[in-house]
Amino acid sequence: MNLRVKFNKKNYLKYISHLDTMRLFERAFKRAGIPVEFSQGFNPHPKFSIASPISLGLESEGEYMDIELNEEMSPEEFKSKLNQVLPKDMQILEARYSEDKKTIAALITWAKYSIEIKQENDINPEKIKESLLDWIKKDEIIIERLRKKKKKKVLKRENISDLIDGFKILNIDKNIVEVEVLLKTGSVKNLRPFDFVKALMRDNHLEGGLDLVEMKREKLLIGDKLEIF
Amino acid sequence: MINKDKLERVLKRVEKPARYIGMEQNSIAKNLDKVKVKFTFSYPDIYEVGMSHLGLHILYNLINSEKDFACERVFAPWVDMEEEMRRESLPLFTLENKEEVSNFDFLGFTLQYEMSYTNILNILDLSGIPLYSKDRDDTHPFIIAGGPCAYNPEPIADFIDFFVIGEAEELILEILNIYKEMKDTSWDRESFLKKIMKLKGVYVPKFYHVEYKEDGTIKEMNPIIEGMPEKIEKAFIEDVENMYVQDKIIVPFIETIHDRVVLEVFRGCTKGCRFCQAGMLYRPIREKSPENLMKTAKELVKSTGYDDISLSSLSTCDYSQLQFLIKNLIDEYKDERVGVSLPSLRLDSLSIDILKEIERVRKTGLTFAPEAGTQRLRDVINKGITEEDLKTAVGYAFKEGWSRVKLYFMIGLPTETDKDLLGIKEMAYDVKDIFFNRPKEEIRGNFRVTLSASCFVPKPFTPFQWVAQDSIEEFRRKSFLIKDSIKDKKIVFNYHNSELSYMEAIFARGDRRLSKLIHRAYKSGCKLDGWSEHFKFYTWIEAMEELNIDGDFYARRERELDEIFPWDFIDPGVNKKYLIREYKKAIKEETTEDCRITCNACGIEDCSMRGAIN
Repeated sequence: MNLRVKFNKKNYLKYISHLDTMRLFERAFKRAGIPVEFSQGFNPHPKFSIASPISLGLESEGEYMDIELNEEMSPEEFKSKLNQVLPKDMQILEARYSEDKKTIAALITWAKYSIEIKQENDINPEKIKESLLDWIKKDEIIIERLRKKKKKKVLKRENISDLIDGFKILNIDKNIVEVEVLLKTGSVKNLRPFDFVKALMRDNHLEGGLDLVEMKREKLLIGDKLEIF
Repeated sequence: MINKDKLERVLKRVEKPARYIGMEQNSIAKNLDKVKVKFTFSYPDIYEVGMSHLGLHILYNLINSEKDFACERVFAPWVDMEEEMRRESLPLFTLENKEEVSNFDFLGFTLQYEMSYTNILNILDLSGIPLYSKDRDDTHPFIIAGGPCAYNPEPIADFIDFFVIGEAEELILEILNIYKEMKDTSWDRESFLKKIMKLKGVYVPKFYHVEYKEDGTIKEMNPIIEGMPEKIEKAFIEDVENMYVQDKIIVPFIETIHDRVVLEVFRGCTKGCRFCQAGMLYRPIREKSPENLMKTAKELVKSTGYDDISLSSLSTCDYSQLQFLIKNLIDEYKDERVGVSLPSLRLDSLSIDILKEIERVRKTGLTFAPEAGTQRLRDVINKGITEEDLKTAVGYAFKEGWSRVKLYFMIGLPTETDKDLLGIKEMAYDVKDIFFNRPKEEIRGNFRVTLSASCFVPKPFTPFQWVAQDSIEEFRRKSFLIKDSIKDKKIVFNYHNSELSYMEAIFARGDRRLSKLIHRAYKSGCKLDGWSEHFKFYTWIEAMEELNIDGDFYARRERELDEIFPWDFIDPGVNKKYLIREYKKAIKEETTEDCRITCNACGIEDCSMRGAIN
């Protein structure tokens, strides 16, 4: 039985990696007595997977995992038992049985991010707003990524303009820029939030490094930008 | 509390920020305004190393179990974090409440290895606490230290306000309770130290004076205050069955060295291996009952969700009820897929039966520690195993399906010759022959034997405390001798950094005059010495030259039998007469039996093991 689960990741827990998160859940399942199915073979491991692992340093209001159970358990029981043993900054929000043949990881298409960029030197809000609105309309926004070519890693130029949608400016002040955007996510095409923000800052004359940026993943979407649950 | 905004920005710029956030399962963050005594525990290395230390978990939970006390943790920051902290003027903080370490009443260090001493100075510096004990006043925390290296505390005596020597559990609570009473009255540092000085196991360096002879050895060491003990007896827990044991341990988010439940099966050791300091210091042996261990295991598995239980003790395989314990643990936890592991194995078929039991959950590695390559040298060090034992054990293991073996050795042992070194290679080849000299159908798996050779460091309170360490050149020559003699891809030989071992040997048998060396080396940039990418041997050498300190005096000098050692003022239970006897027997290649068989009169009076087998 496949249970599809939504959970969050808040505050300081944004600093634990995807692998740390997997380990955390593995132990939490044990502590809570969740009847998770194990794989066969030499080194059995619990069968669960997290969709589109989030980058280190981002909070999230909604991450998803599929978990295979070998015994029936009501989603309510699953949620309350696990939440008792999980840290308060990572809680199960919702759980539903799923008949999908595909895992949730394979279904993800887009992710919605809210991004806050602090500036140490004062900026001109009107100018920045104009620049951003022009920039987002461009046909070409280029980033450079290290890609494997044969056996080496090569710096490749990529156009990400098609991987961006729903850009909205939430607030601009003399020391802060707050925006919201949808980025293409998933196994087919994937735009990492840090790559997007680096390009945004570079092309719109926003100064400083990524340590001035606070990002949160608000939602993951499937298909034609549909909510999951 | 430190500036949280600064912390957030810094965390975004460093590797593995999760090292510095705390908040783990079973971590305890009390309201510091409501507790009477605030204690910070520090393992002076990075988070991943420190969190694997069992002592931390014991003391952390013990101290926090008292309503009026709080215990929080601090570790050495990695180089990138330290750089950020210094740049942003962010002081060192505890993980639980992100509180400045300098605001605590006590900062306690565990001394697990000598080359962590520069990290202690760095932690003090980053906390804004004066490095030298004499420069601290009533506004600073008490800087205290314990652990195995505290049995020769002298090299860092100038930095530590007082040491806790021996098993700290009961003693630390007594000390904190005395402090709790005192702080509501008018008190000062001096009067507190004078009060706790009288407790068994407490050593306050400033109340002792050391005089040296012309030749640099110690003339005498005396207390300078009336009523101070001349000899410090170690603190010791008699009743391990009923002593405090934690029912929860902190579960780190990130991967640490030991991601498992660690179960302490017994304390002490009866084997009497002559190189081993721990085996001498933690006598007499005291075992816990299997029922007690099963109960602790149950609580720890439940509160952590770990999938492995490690039975940790000095020679776990000698636990008198090992098979019974393991069988019960496997029976209890195999359905939950919680396995059992052992640090290393005794060389007999019993161990293989135990391995088979363990394998019901998860296959574990085969690790043995012959320590020396020939019977002669093994007799010298009193590691009582024979070639036959090894052959039988691996033969049996291979038959049961294992194909990889790890063998631990030391080089630089007293009376060692090249023949002994080549014996290591021969043992590896013998093991390989055993694997392959079987009918083809029986041979399964990819054979590999991994040899690991560390450099012998003579330690205080062992029969070898009089011995000179090999030179760095000798260690190198010996390592290459073994390496070059192995012409087989299936035999892997790993050797250790002899320069680091030389420094370790200096501090292991060092005296108070070395504190200025640690200070100078630290100021010149030495820290994280245990990490090969950060160990700066030439900076240490330069510091020694500048200060006119001869490292060879400490590491490479053979001692006279009547020399007074810097650690002689401590009484660990075993006496010098016994150690001298064992040293002389070693030179004559004579072995000594396990104390479970016959008592060897080591000096311990109340010993439960005396003739236990007879």
